Amino acid sequence: MNIAVLLKQVPDTTAKITISDEKVDESSVSKWSMSPYDEYALESGLKLKETSGGNLIAITCGPERTKKMLTDAAAVGADTLVHIPNDGVTDSTHVQKLLAAAVKRFDSHVVLCGKQAADTNGGSTGPGVAELINAACVTLVSEVNFSEGKFTTIRPSNSGIEKVVVDGLSVFAFDKGSTELRRPNVRGIMMAKKKPIESIISSDLGVNLEASNVKMNSQNPPPEKPAGQKFEGAEYVNEVVSKLRNEANVI
Amino acid sequence: MVYEALDFYDVDSLLTEEERMVRDMVRDWVDEEVIPNIEIACRDGVFPDEWRVALGEMGVLGAPLKGYDCPGLSYTAYGVICRELERGDSGLRSFASVQGSLAMYPIWDFGSEEQKNYYLPKMASGEWIGCFGLTEPDYGSNPGDMITKAEDMGDHYLLNGAKMWITNGSIAELAVVWAKLDGVIRGFIVEKNDPGFSAPEMKGKHSLKASVTSELVFQDCKIPKDRMLPGVKGLRGPFSCLNNARFGISWGALGSAQACFDSAKDYAMSRIQFNHPIASYQLVQNKLSWMLREITKGQLLAYHLGQKKDAGTWIPEHISLAKMNNVDIALEIARVARDIHGANGILDEYPIMRHMANLESVKTYEGTHDIHNLIIGRHITGIQAFTREA
Ligand SMILES: Cc1cc2nc3c(=O)[nH]c(=O)nc-3n(C[C@H](O)[C@H](O)[C@H](O)COP(=O)(O)OP(=O)(O)OC[C@H]3O[C@@H](n4cnc5c(N)ncnc54)[C@H](O)[C@@H]3O)c2cc1C
Repeated sequence: MNIAVLLKQVPDTTAKITISDEKVDESSVSKWSMSPYDEYALESGLKLKETSGGNLIAITCGPERTKKMLTDAAAVGADTLVHIPNDGVTDSTHVQKLLAAAVKRFDSHVVLCGKQAADTNGGSTGPGVAELINAACVTLVSEVNFSEGKFTTIRPSNSGIEKVVVDGLSVFAFDKGSTELRRPNVRGIMMAKKKPIESIISSDLGVNLEASNVKMNSQNPPPEKPAGQKFEGAEYVNEVVSKLRNEANVI
Repeated sequence: MVYEALDFYDVDSLLTEEERMVRDMVRDWVDEEVIPNIEIACRDGVFPDEWRVALGEMGVLGAPLKGYDCPGLSYTAYGVICRELERGDSGLRSFASVQGSLAMYPIWDFGSEEQKNYYLPKMASGEWIGCFGLTEPDYGSNPGDMITKAEDMGDHYLLNGAKMWITNGSIAELAVVWAKLDGVIRGFIVEKNDPGFSAPEMKGKHSLKASVTSELVFQDCKIPKDRMLPGVKGLRGPFSCLNNARFGISWGALGSAQACFDSAKDYAMSRIQFNHPIASYQLVQNKLSWMLREITKGQLLAYHLGQKKDAGTWIPEHISLAKMNNVDIALEIARVARDIHGANGILDEYPIMRHMANLESVKTYEGTHDIHNLIIGRHITGIQAFTREA
């Protein structure tokens, strides 16, 4: 089975984000990491590979720095590393087209990705790629198993959890599960270093990135949180309860 | 609070990609598994067994050794690993130093082919813990006068004597023990269940509390003939091991220093006295700036020494300088950090006091600060000043 895992490199969730000229200043990001939801997709992909055999293809679309993340994926077990430079990419539909083309080019039988990227939180990649390759799509997946030609996935539902069974080409968009993520080890790191990264540009994928009709106007930091309020003594009980109920909306 | 490693001169950019990946692997593990559990381990005075397992799984034990299922990394990578481990705790780094440099290394360099094949794979995977018995109750800085002796009994050796201050002693499967055979220092591998061998734990440490320290007692301890290390005679044996461990310590101490700096900086920025953060006062800035200065110099020293170690152009005196300097500044940085934290500095909520107490051991073991001064002094003058006798 060819298992494609779509990975995005994002500012580490602990990294400080600075904005200059109404845009996120990427040069000031101190640490780039694999988007946390993608880590779960990768982990599930590795498990699928272990139980059902196959080839795990890690694919990313992004600038040069994202190659490091592919090497990190190889250190835990990715077999084929594919980098699509993001030159000319201006919106998420471009990314979806490029990823879909790469998924096809590597004859993938199943595609795993995060439910959303931890930076833009768009959530469109999984369903978008599924649409383009004409595949089934299950979102918010926490677990996937393969047996007798079918994929069984676990996802939350209104009343608990539901089991969704699909066959044929499918895209699974992962949420954080209770699965423990594996750590790399020295042996994996030494092998990863030797693994080549295949760079494929958009024209080689047969994708024409036509002008986008989406335009990013500006980015702003979230508003600063107002200072906390402190109440001491029984005489404030009513006031605190009313604030919790009407302002904080927590009771 | 997120740990942001101080690297003012971007020294880590000189590392290879592989070295940086190893760094990140160890750093993440320390953040996730060590720092949240270290205070409990210290309070209980135990080295958590999960850490042994994890170090084996990550594949960092005996880092620079090649073959026999050992990692085969560079010495620089070994240094980086020590630094990241010691940012968590010096006791954790001690475990790795002893396992890799003091127990695996002598088998790897001086052992027979059979000994290497038998012991090294299980030690690299963490399954078997090793320890290193050199120091005796009456012989610390001058191990050459050790009393522990081995006798050739024809079909076996008989060991008699006692070692003290032995890291990992009570949890070890095997001990590399240095003893005199006909007056010449030789290395022997003693296994846990050998008759006449015991390893009682030493209690009551105020330092390296998460590391096990033991005595090794040999009372007519009988070991098979094939347990002697064939490849080395004299003090060169234990000293070769110490060179490697000391090299690791010169990096490791920087991990403690960086942890203390990190905590002091955060604390100084958020602690308000006289209406302003204490970080805004010149005296406090002077302290932080001094810490950064010494850490940066220490990093350059460690990195350059790593390059020399990898290139094979080092001499033991180079290692003495780095061990002595980097432990010295780390200890002083811990003390200044304690001062910046005020009363909070003595609490186990902050890592400061733990690092400070740990570093007191690190200053003493692997050659005390002054023994390294004497080593360098001898290098400068050609005159040995260890003893009055010639
Ligand atoms: C926590 C811990 C773990 C350890 N683990 C191990 C281990 O795993 N294996 C092992 O073999 N050993 C181990 N040691 C022992 C360590 O290596 C010794 O403590 C060290 O070599 C110093 O010996 P000592 O304590 O006997 O001090 P001493 O040698 O008695 O020194 C006391 C003081 O005298 C000074 N001094 C000594 N000689 C001179 C001189 N000629 N000129 C000037 N000053 C001098 C020293 O610098 C020091 O300040 C450990 C020690 C500790 C604290």
